[in-house]
Amino acid sequence: MVRNLFFKSKKANLLTENVIFIVLNLVFLAILVVFILRASNDASILEEKYAKQIALMLDTAKPGMEIGIELSDAIKKAEKEEWPVEKIVSVSGNLVSVKLSEDGGYSYSFFNDIEPSIDIGPNEIYILVREKNG
Amino acid sequence: MDRLLEFRLSSFFRNKKGAEKYLSPWWFAILFIVAGGIVYMVALFYGKPYDIREVEANLLAEKIADCVVEQNYLKTEILNDPEFKTKFLEYCDLNFNAEDSYGWSNDQYYAEFGISDFSTKKDFEGFPFYAGNPNLKDYCGQQDKNFPFCVEKSFYVLDKTNKQYIVKIISIVRKTEKNAKQ
Repeated sequence: MVRNLFFKSKKANLLTENVIFIVLNLVFLAILVVFILRASNDASILEEKYAKQIALMLDTAKPGMEIGIELSDAIKKAEKEEWPVEKIVSVSGNLVSVKLSEDGGYSYSFFNDIEPSIDIGPNEIYILVREKNG
Repeated sequence: MDRLLEFRLSSFFRNKKGAEKYLSPWWFAILFIVAGGIVYMVALFYGKPYDIREVEANLLAEKIADCVVEQNYLKTEILNDPEFKTKFLEYCDLNFNAEDSYGWSNDQYYAEFGISDFSTKKDFEGFPFYAGNPNLKDYCGQQDKNFPFCVEKSFYVLDKTNKQYIVKIISIVRKTEKNAKQ
């Protein structure tokens, strides 16, 4: 028994080596996956994505519409960056701005001449579309 | 127990085959190439802006179409009302102002509206007319993503007296800097 513990067979050695080899590969892959996930959830990418998405929605909107957009990942990011949630999305004239941190921010214009008002909920934003000067 | 562990570790690293597998420069090179490739692809994918010009140009054309058609009939007043042409943007609730970035000066959109008689194919007087930056039209037909995106739509429509018309709309969106990597 003792002899078996100290002098492992060749087969057992091979198994340990392969297990360590596979674990190292999995660690390497995990690091890459974490890198890709972090890159895809980058604040600047989310800002651009949501600014353009909201601008397109406003382009199709008609006065009287109420639009809800799910923004939970952007809200989480803003909370992490200690940026006030109510300042995430703003509309000035025909320009939508999405800002998730002090230094960031992305703006995109829309051509529909409407007056939207923004209301931010726990996980989404609500846009109420009104006619200009209406 | 410590001696057991010491023995196992020493025998593991003495094993030439095992050491070759984990510490070989070739293996490090492969890891480096794979990691570099993935980082490059991620940077390439996320480094490019989302190109929404095609959707935007289509929406602009649809908005103009909605503006001249009411309950599936052409608004015939557009043919006689001079304000339709002179105040086209206000008439159709359009705003071609763009953000003050990249040296843009409200020259990022173009819209052209034409209407002709279906049977004679002749344009009505004063049509087509346009709003926005007419220079953008020169780039239509070019396939390069760094040029403005053009959409041309035409449709058949009746008025309430069943007179037939062909409406042609050209909408162009530039905004190249924000939609295509230079």
